[in-house]
Amino acid sequence: MIQRARKLWMVVYLAPLAFLVVFYVYPLLSILDLSIRPAGAFDLSGFVKLLSTDYYIGTLVFTVYQAALSTGVTLLLALPCAFVFARYRFRGKSLLLSLATLPFVLPTVVVALAFAALLGKDGLLNDALAALFTLDYEPIQLERTLAIIIIVHVFYNFAVALRIMTSYLSAVGFSLEEAARCLGADELSLWRDIRMPLIRPALLSAGLLVFIFSFTSFGVILILGGIRFATLEVQIYYQAVNMFNLPLAAALSLVQILSMLALMIIYTSTQKQLRLTLASHHSLTKRARSAGARLALGSCVGLIALLLFAPLLALVARSVLVAGQLDFGNFASLAQKSRGSLLFIAPLASVFNSLRFALMAMMAALILGLIASYLIESRGRLSRLADPLFMLPLATSAVTLGFGFIIALDEPPLNLRASWLIIPISHTLVALPFVIRSVLPSLRAIPSSLREAAQTLGAKPLDILLTIDLPLLGRGLAVGATFAFTVSMGEFGASLFVAQRESVTIPVVIYRLIGDPGFASYRQSMAMSVVLLLVCAGGFVLIERLRVAGVGEF
Amino acid sequence: MLRIERVSHAYGEIVSLRDVTLTLDEGEILCLLGPSGCGKTTLLRIIAGLETEYRGLVALEGADIRPMPAHQRQFGLMFQDFALFPHLSVADNIAYGLKRKGLDRKRIGVRVQSLLERVGLEGLDERDVASLSGGQKQRVALARSLAPNPRLLMLDEPLGSLDAQLRDQLALELRGIIKEAGLSAIYVTHDQREAYAVADRLAVMDEGSVRQHAAPRRVYMRPACAFVARFLGMSNIFATGDSRVANLRGLREDDAWTGAKTFLIHPSGMSLSPADAELAAQVSVILDQAVFRGGYFDATASTAAGASLDFSVKDLPVAVGESFDLWIARDAVMPFVD
Repeated sequence: MIQRARKLWMVVYLAPLAFLVVFYVYPLLSILDLSIRPAGAFDLSGFVKLLSTDYYIGTLVFTVYQAALSTGVTLLLALPCAFVFARYRFRGKSLLLSLATLPFVLPTVVVALAFAALLGKDGLLNDALAALFTLDYEPIQLERTLAIIIIVHVFYNFAVALRIMTSYLSAVGFSLEEAARCLGADELSLWRDIRMPLIRPALLSAGLLVFIFSFTSFGVILILGGIRFATLEVQIYYQAVNMFNLPLAAALSLVQILSMLALMIIYTSTQKQLRLTLASHHSLTKRARSAGARLALGSCVGLIALLLFAPLLALVARSVLVAGQLDFGNFASLAQKSRGSLLFIAPLASVFNSLRFALMAMMAALILGLIASYLIESRGRLSRLADPLFMLPLATSAVTLGFGFIIALDEPPLNLRASWLIIPISHTLVALPFVIRSVLPSLRAIPSSLREAAQTLGAKPLDILLTIDLPLLGRGLAVGATFAFTVSMGEFGASLFVAQRESVTIPVVIYRLIGDPGFASYRQSMAMSVVLLLVCAGGFVLIERLRVAGVGEF
Repeated sequence: MLRIERVSHAYGEIVSLRDVTLTLDEGEILCLLGPSGCGKTTLLRIIAGLETEYRGLVALEGADIRPMPAHQRQFGLMFQDFALFPHLSVADNIAYGLKRKGLDRKRIGVRVQSLLERVGLEGLDERDVASLSGGQKQRVALARSLAPNPRLLMLDEPLGSLDAQLRDQLALELRGIIKEAGLSAIYVTHDQREAYAVADRLAVMDEGSVRQHAAPRRVYMRPACAFVARFLGMSNIFATGDSRVANLRGLREDDAWTGAKTFLIHPSGMSLSPADAELAAQVSVILDQAVFRGGYFDATASTAAGASLDFSVKDLPVAVGESFDLWIARDAVMPFVD
């Protein structure tokens, strides 16, 4: 009987692996195949073209350049804030630190539009400045510039960098600094000899993460930059969708996959360093009393608040204010398809689509993620392999996934290209790592003696799952579910590839509306973005309230 | 009722049980006593059905129960860390096994109340288990394992996490509760005082083997080997070739001494005056130290040859530094092969 049960478990265990093989490994292999055998025969001309054309070299260089620049600016702003936050305590600090991570769940289309609403040609700031100084031109010209891309990348990554460095500095403590001070170190040598060497591992780790995020940035660059600022991601999209040059897109994707692989390997190795150097000094924060300290603290809090709230408030304001008057007409218009629109459906219908797909992706990701977590925890031969395996989709850009989907799943036996099913499937893939990272800590926290106690009290394996495991996994599952739902609602890169006609989701509709000519579409896109913002912010609040230490950490 | 025959078990390369053979009679409390890592918890887990990879036989009332999964055995197991379900109240923890048996709510309620009463936790039914003290958690764990009327109750270091003062009293209380319920029980501990208080019989274990299996008094008075003697805190263990003590073990060299490597002079077999027992030796010693334990003295004295002897006596009319004669009973000298 035990033998049979074990066989049954193996079949269940294999479900998430099978899902990964069919919907992740297979599409990626298809990309590989297409890039080196574009016409069925071995042919590297795609790569030759890629590496011999200045334009594509330029794309590669620009991808690295903008990521490096984003990383530099983010670290430059986050580093002093990290020192201030690690040192001083103030009321609302933990709330602010947790609020600062809100961008993590915000869809790129929403954020791109929010910055357009703030800093764009018709943005709030230009309107205000024009009104204030009675100008007849727009003083801020940031649309389609590198600057606005970098600003948005800072918005996304600031909190990530801040969190890594602040927690590291808190763990290191300030006793070394105090010792140096007693030995006569002045402010300059403190920075040079003590602080910077101490923070270096955290700086490196945070920097790599920001670089990875910026390297794979897609929606932001597509919407705010345009083809002039094409990165690898944007180029893959253009080549695949606009030019229909699939072999070149595949070659670009392969470059992208390999770059990500290299970056992830480096990042993982810095993570190990980070753990090794962490000393266990207990850290003491103090109140900011001197004028200088207050100024530093005030600047940091102000910077975070400005960076975080200004664009989001601008977006909301733009959507409800028409000619200075409160007007919800933008939202009412969402029920109608505007004339001349490229859309097949009314914008509001996409809300229904998104909700439907998000619920499906959530359920699928929860079930597969739960099983995968058990597989990872099973300590079998498979489990050591399973942990990094299930994290792979996280390290693969959404555009690569979407592209892989359309080239791999367009022919029998798996012809899903025309089916709406392809959307929740792609979202499940993207959400799976989030669910596993949320469930695994809870699962690991259940002492095996609880299950054994239940067993000695007569509980059958299914009883144990239902009465012990699931109730204790409740929180982790809820966090995972919310993550999955939010991720699915905001998913843009893959959806843009796979969402067709009637099955488009909110982010895709927003993108299409931006492309549509006319003021009405612009207003509609703002209103749609607010709807999506509210959904994701709600998800964020839920996650923050539910999560306990360690759950959903990456 | 329970028979364990030649059970062996290994964690990978590390052998944790070697050919363990034990029996448990109906209504008996058997104590598995030994240092940590001796395999006693593993043996318990094998009996409970939680450990399935092992060699040997486990039989209950003559029937082989090896293929039976843990949840069907109806053996209660009280865990060392109590393993209380953190998401359930005190009452729901206790009711867990009863629900698995399919009892109706009313009967479960009655049973839970009577158990709470028996372990002295009346009124705590709805409490969160996290809010309980160590002693209270221990009682809930006991009540939970007693609730489904187990055929066999197993307790793994049930008092391990409590302080020493509580332990003596709770050990007796535990024995009372188990006996009152008429249960057969296996009780794992590393504390000999606890074992003496609880057990009908002891099985002293070391490195995966049972070194001695007998009643507590028998184990104390006649330890089967040097390990058991040392584990019980006895220190007068000497190598047979030790010239300092050659005159202390008497002249008789019978079969028991062939192959003996060490011997023990039992601390309770020495006295300050010649008793009725047959004597092995009489030796002049100087008192090094004496501790009054209330009712008896634990003392240490050294011989002129330089051997140190620990002994327990009722009366000690000698001061430290004074010399006196010590009489060693022949029974107190025991040869060991290890």
